[in-house]
Amino acid sequence: MSQQHSPTMKEAAASSDAADRALLQRVAGGDRTALEILYRSYHGTLCRFLSRLTRRPDIIEEVINDCFWIAWQKAGGFHGDSRVSTWIMGIAYRCGLKALRQHGSGPVEDHTLMGDRGPSHDPEEDREMRDWLRKGLDLLSSDQRIVIELVYGNGHSLDEVAAIMQRPVGTVKARLFHARVKLRNLLPALGGEAAARKERVP
Amino acid sequence: MTFTIDSAPDCARAWEAMPWVLQDNAPAAQKEWLMAHLARCESCSAEFAQQTRLRAAMSLPSDVPLDVDSGMARLLTRLDTLDSETIAPPARRANWVFKALAAAVLIQALGIGALGTRLLSDRSAPYQTLSTPAPAAIAGAIRVVPDPGMKLVDWNKLLHSLGLKVVSGPNAVGAYTVAPAEAAIRSEQSLQQLRASAGIRLAEPVDNVP
Repeated sequence: MSQQHSPTMKEAAASSDAADRALLQRVAGGDRTALEILYRSYHGTLCRFLSRLTRRPDIIEEVINDCFWIAWQKAGGFHGDSRVSTWIMGIAYRCGLKALRQHGSGPVEDHTLMGDRGPSHDPEEDREMRDWLRKGLDLLSSDQRIVIELVYGNGHSLDEVAAIMQRPVGTVKARLFHARVKLRNLLPALGGEAAARKERVP
Repeated sequence: MTFTIDSAPDCARAWEAMPWVLQDNAPAAQKEWLMAHLARCESCSAEFAQQTRLRAAMSLPSDVPLDVDSGMARLLTRLDTLDSETIAPPARRANWVFKALAAAVLIQALGIGALGTRLLSDRSAPYQTLSTPAPAAIAGAIRVVPDPGMKLVDWNKLLHSLGLKVVSGPNAVGAYTVAPAEAAIRSEQSLQQLRASAGIRLAEPVDNVP
């Protein structure tokens, strides 16, 4: 068993943040090309993150648009107190909550879209994993889903999640804990055990 | 399978460490300890496998269909709108400047109008020059035409000796209107003396004087 700590992911994250900062600086100077690079690099992450709040593509696109609209206007005010990704995710989170309020509902729980999306090009294993994940996330509150997404999907620390959600670290830690307990107790019954067995087979 | 937080202390510690080890954000020593614990704890090993699967599932791309190109195009269109709105404010400022200037001109016009009205109604002390016609009401006024060669000193000396003063003139033909400096001086005597003086071409009483 390898006990050596690999800095590869950390280095990649630091390098990515340095590149993001350079881009954001250019955005602050009115560089649309830099904005487009940032937009394209964060589009997938934001799309997945916001899909934990709502399943409606129109709202997700509206929120991403609002997020970069604000980033365009506020880029000059970014002082580097956090990673650029934390800053952008925080904007997206607030825009997402605002959009949900404006559309007169809480997080949309309609999963009818899930089965309709791209089955033809989605590998069977991924589809099975998505289904397993969907069932698991259904058990969580929207706040818990967001915390799980930010920690497991985006690799943010507790401090960063607290900054994004503008909540105390203790609150975030509690949400993560309770979400993990729910998932641990219920995911195996949702098909995870079979998948896990499959993974353990050499 | 039910997880309880009163599990063995090592399992609770392993539980805390799992997300950060999966993120590769845990200190090397913590990761090393966790791996050692997983090797001897089947429950935590199963949990770590599930956490690994959860992380893999969370990392799958979104299944919500969104076209990045059309989204970017909409954003750029929105930025164009922002730019045009940013340019608009100077026009609005110019409009305000124009309105302010118009208001100032209007106030000035009203002020000038009021002042003109007051001046027209106040004719009690008209400005008068020596070339304007002699006042009709001066008693004993005499119109005098001195010789062009007469010196100013001699002219002043003559008027002074006769007790006269210039009340108007000279007019277009060089005539002055003189009048007694004091009421006691008789203008008729002054008239005769003027006519007799050297350097005086003409001396005649003003017609309308009785």
